[in-house]
Amino acid sequence: MSMNDWIPFITGSVALIGTTVPGVANTYLTIEQAQQSVFPQRTCSPSNVTLTADQQRTIESRSGVRVRSREIKAWKVGGGGWFLVDEVIGKHEYITYAVGLNGDGSVKQIEILDYRETYGYQVRDAAWRQQFAGKTAQAPLKLDQDIRNISGATLSSRHITEGVRRLLATYEVALR
Amino acid sequence: MSVSVSVSVRKERLTGVEKLQGSFETRTHTRTLCRARPLLGTIVEVVVDTESETLGHAAIDRAFETISVIQKRMSFHDPSSAVSRLNREADKHAVSVDDKTFRVLEIAQEFHEASEGVFDITIAPELEEAGFLPGKYALGSGRPAPVWPRRGVRSDVRYQTGAGRTLPVTADIELFPDRFVRFRRPDLRIDLGGIAKGFAVDEAVATLQAFGIESGLINAGGDLQVFGPRQFTVEIRDPSAPGKMVAALPIRNQAISTSAHYFADRISATALTGPFVDPRTRALAAPALSVTVIAPSAVFADALTKVVMINPIGCLPVLQRFVAAALMVDRKGAIFCTPNWHAKVDDAA
Repeated sequence: MSMNDWIPFITGSVALIGTTVPGVANTYLTIEQAQQSVFPQRTCSPSNVTLTADQQRTIESRSGVRVRSREIKAWKVGGGGWFLVDEVIGKHEYITYAVGLNGDGSVKQIEILDYRETYGYQVRDAAWRQQFAGKTAQAPLKLDQDIRNISGATLSSRHITEGVRRLLATYEVALR
Repeated sequence: MSVSVSVSVRKERLTGVEKLQGSFETRTHTRTLCRARPLLGTIVEVVVDTESETLGHAAIDRAFETISVIQKRMSFHDPSSAVSRLNREADKHAVSVDDKTFRVLEIAQEFHEASEGVFDITIAPELEEAGFLPGKYALGSGRPAPVWPRRGVRSDVRYQTGAGRTLPVTADIELFPDRFVRFRRPDLRIDLGGIAKGFAVDEAVATLQAFGIESGLINAGGDLQVFGPRQFTVEIRDPSAPGKMVAALPIRNQAISTSAHYFADRISATALTGPFVDPRTRALAAPALSVTVIAPSAVFADALTKVVMINPIGCLPVLQRFVAAALMVDRKGAIFCTPNWHAKVDDAA
């Protein structure tokens, strides 16, 4: 076929254009499945923690991330280590994820449990874009450090990164 | 108002899936496993059809590992990556790199040649200058924008690959046998961002296949590869009208990749809009708002979106050469496709 020029795009199924598509919630793993995946053959015993106001402040100042909930969903892992379940906001909705910590407090594995978002790119939402209005090269966003050409890092992934930073501080302050 | 295209996957509901009952494993039934991890600066989703849950999860674990290794080696940001080592040392002496990094450099050279210089991994300084990569010229560093010398578009430097092929290389990067790499220009820095994500998806698909996984999907935030007999529906949405679909593509054994101008509205229209630099002029280029490419492999699709974005008119023979088709949304929101788009999509189904 000749490739001389672009042609206006007409979809094969015209009826589909403009069709409203419901957001799809993706549940990847249950908590039990994630525990199996991160710590195979190990036992995880529920060991939830409620942070004190003091601990909350320390975690916030160490991680630079706001602590939205003082309730930490935690499991102690037989033979050392922690299994934590946390939530961050993606573009619109919560992302539930699990972090396995080794006995020394280092990250073993991160698994997304539940992610209710459509895939795509940051510039999907007018309200979200609005926050960048008026920003110039002279007033850079902190986000710039994280904007990677390798992928056009998504907001969701950035928030997970922040969440993990907060959980690592939580470990130091409250679980260790 | 801006329109950009995003890709989403609608997973077909599982058929014939039964829960394991008692101690009998239902080997005759295929089940679908979906997992996701934060990698490559996005959320990477892996979907596999498997008869054995244990094997399926092991395959997925290994696929994530594959991606993680590639991310570590090819990161522009990680000082211990192969790319960082090249950027520090390769202008002083030849540097030996791992086979995967070398392979990506080979592919990059192939695209550089095929696109007559449009695809270029040496535009890192311009991206840094524009604030898309960290570096001494990053946004807010207070340094004046440097003037970079224009380079030749094509080069006659050639090297012999292990397989006996001869590929042209840019004047600035030399690839030698035994995976040695040398930069011929001081201050040259490479960024594999335009290609590494697609490469990682391809490699992870190969990992799954090595485990005997026959069909599945890997989606790394817009770089997506579907493999095997199963058909997946990939939705292209119109983000300016949330939930509105531009097209639903039934895809089988194909890769699809979308590049968009992430910050089209962030800075004024005269300033930079996205991380696309035209290597021929070394200026930020932005003729299209969003480009989607369908191709036989994710690394092709990934690299080709950049070629189309920068050179929408001249890219058509390049697309043809790599058996690819493209869809483009222009600044006014009009949607165009290459003449082979529909045939390609039908082919894929």
